[in-house]
Amino acid sequence: MVSRAAAAIRTRPRREREAEVLVWPDLVFIEFISALIFSIALMVLSAMVNAPLLNRADPDTTPNPSKAPWYFLNLQELLLHMEPAWAGVIVPTIALVLIAAIPYWDRDQEGQGVWFGTKFAGRLTIFGFTAATLITSLLIIWDGSLHVVWTENIIRGLGLNSDFSWPGGLDWFRNLRGFDTGIPWESLGFSIGGFTMFADWRAIPLGIPGTTTDPWLLNLNFPSFLSQQLIPVATMVGLPVLFVVFCKMLGWIHTRRDIALLIFSAFIGVYLTTTIVGTAFRGQGQDLKPPWDIVVLEE
Amino acid sequence: MANLERAPRKSINDLIYDLIFKNYVWQSIFRTGYPNTPRNQMLAVATNVFLHLHPTRIHRTHVKITHTYCLGGLSFFMFLGLTVTGVLLMFYYVPSVERAYQDIQALEANVRFGQLLRNMHRWMAHAMIILVLLHMMRVFYTGAYKPPREFNWVVGVVLFILTLLLSFTGYLLPWDQLAFWAITVGTTMVGSAPVLGDESKFLLLGGFSVGPNALIRFYTLHVIGLPLVISIFMAVHFWRVRRDGGLARPL
Repeated sequence: MVSRAAAAIRTRPRREREAEVLVWPDLVFIEFISALIFSIALMVLSAMVNAPLLNRADPDTTPNPSKAPWYFLNLQELLLHMEPAWAGVIVPTIALVLIAAIPYWDRDQEGQGVWFGTKFAGRLTIFGFTAATLITSLLIIWDGSLHVVWTENIIRGLGLNSDFSWPGGLDWFRNLRGFDTGIPWESLGFSIGGFTMFADWRAIPLGIPGTTTDPWLLNLNFPSFLSQQLIPVATMVGLPVLFVVFCKMLGWIHTRRDIALLIFSAFIGVYLTTTIVGTAFRGQGQDLKPPWDIVVLEE
Repeated sequence: MANLERAPRKSINDLIYDLIFKNYVWQSIFRTGYPNTPRNQMLAVATNVFLHLHPTRIHRTHVKITHTYCLGGLSFFMFLGLTVTGVLLMFYYVPSVERAYQDIQALEANVRFGQLLRNMHRWMAHAMIILVLLHMMRVFYTGAYKPPREFNWVVGVVLFILTLLLSFTGYLLPWDQLAFWAITVGTTMVGSAPVLGDESKFLLLGGFSVGPNALIRFYTLHVIGLPLVISIFMAVHFWRVRRDGGLARPL
């Protein structure tokens, strides 16, 4: 049994003195030049673009939309699709913990110190990133009910039916909340013997004692729970699992490093997509709109 | 034979060189000679408190720009630039609800280069977040988190969070509509946390909504609390890069 310290030294590559260069001047020069380039670039940017300053803060005038700083807009975007506790706190916390845990899970030395060091790393990265970006965009479009608008416009535009509107029977497929509002939950109770099950899906008594302050735990509103918690969480857990299974079937995954590459790339895709959508595609009332249709708030 | 014993006549360049680099004052500051020999070049790095973050020699592959794109170093450089511009901004800014907004207006209108100063601070803050993110991606895709660097990756994740918090706390300070409502939205998200949500939000804001208490808390965290914490984590981060054998390369 080797101690951790000894293992740490053992996992270091052998020192190759003949392949070494001096830090001064080789590295210090590069650092100096890159610092210089960045200083100049930022100076030029600052001379050309002013930092925004709107009107004095006014707690009585809520701008529409109100947005967090851009680097939190991914979370604000999640907020539109699930329970706030998941979007604002639990999901980011779990994501950060999982990212921090990567090296404790993927420990073998293969692919260390080189870009995309495994055989299928490039494919996994491109697939993970592209597929996650596409699926996230589609999910956002679906939850924004854009498919409803587009279908109606196309059918009306083609002259097939000028009065066409999204069929009531498909209300449950309008968006995520459709699972809550578009399904006749009140008629879905059933009886076993003389005992009525789920007479009211919106108030399933959980009867957890001592939870009188929190009606959520006292009576479960199942449709809301389904659309705001169960489906989002199942999606966030299920899609990565599907990704891994799919790439495993393609024969692209051989090590944990491959799985890490796939999921991390997918994460980057989701992170970027939600940030961009939250920043540029959300207008008044957080409606999903193309950037050119969004009224810029200048007060 | 006497010719050989006589010292060669010094050129004007040598005289200037000796005058600048071989006088008592210069040598009291820089104990090594001018770094034009390998020995002096190594000593220049090893005996300088700032440069000695580096080893004296590194592997040839590590000075290839495409291996790191200098992202970590540039993140640190942004931090230094933000510290300099931030200290200058503090001369003109008072963190009170009455004064904050008009101080920023005065800075932009009345202070020479005041607008440029504020712009620099703002864009550097954005650049730092992007650079830290890209640095994290670089480390991931080069597999540089693998043993023995597990812990330093965790420190890096903490540094990423601290970078976001530094930017977030600074976001409120101009006290304009953008600042006020962004922080309102952000802290409402904190408030939705299960179990300790409301308590965390209250702790952060010093009240139930964004007001004078929130401003002074965010200001204090922004100019001293978080910079101290992030400096400590950066020290550990850089130290561990050295301790764990510099940049990762294949075994």
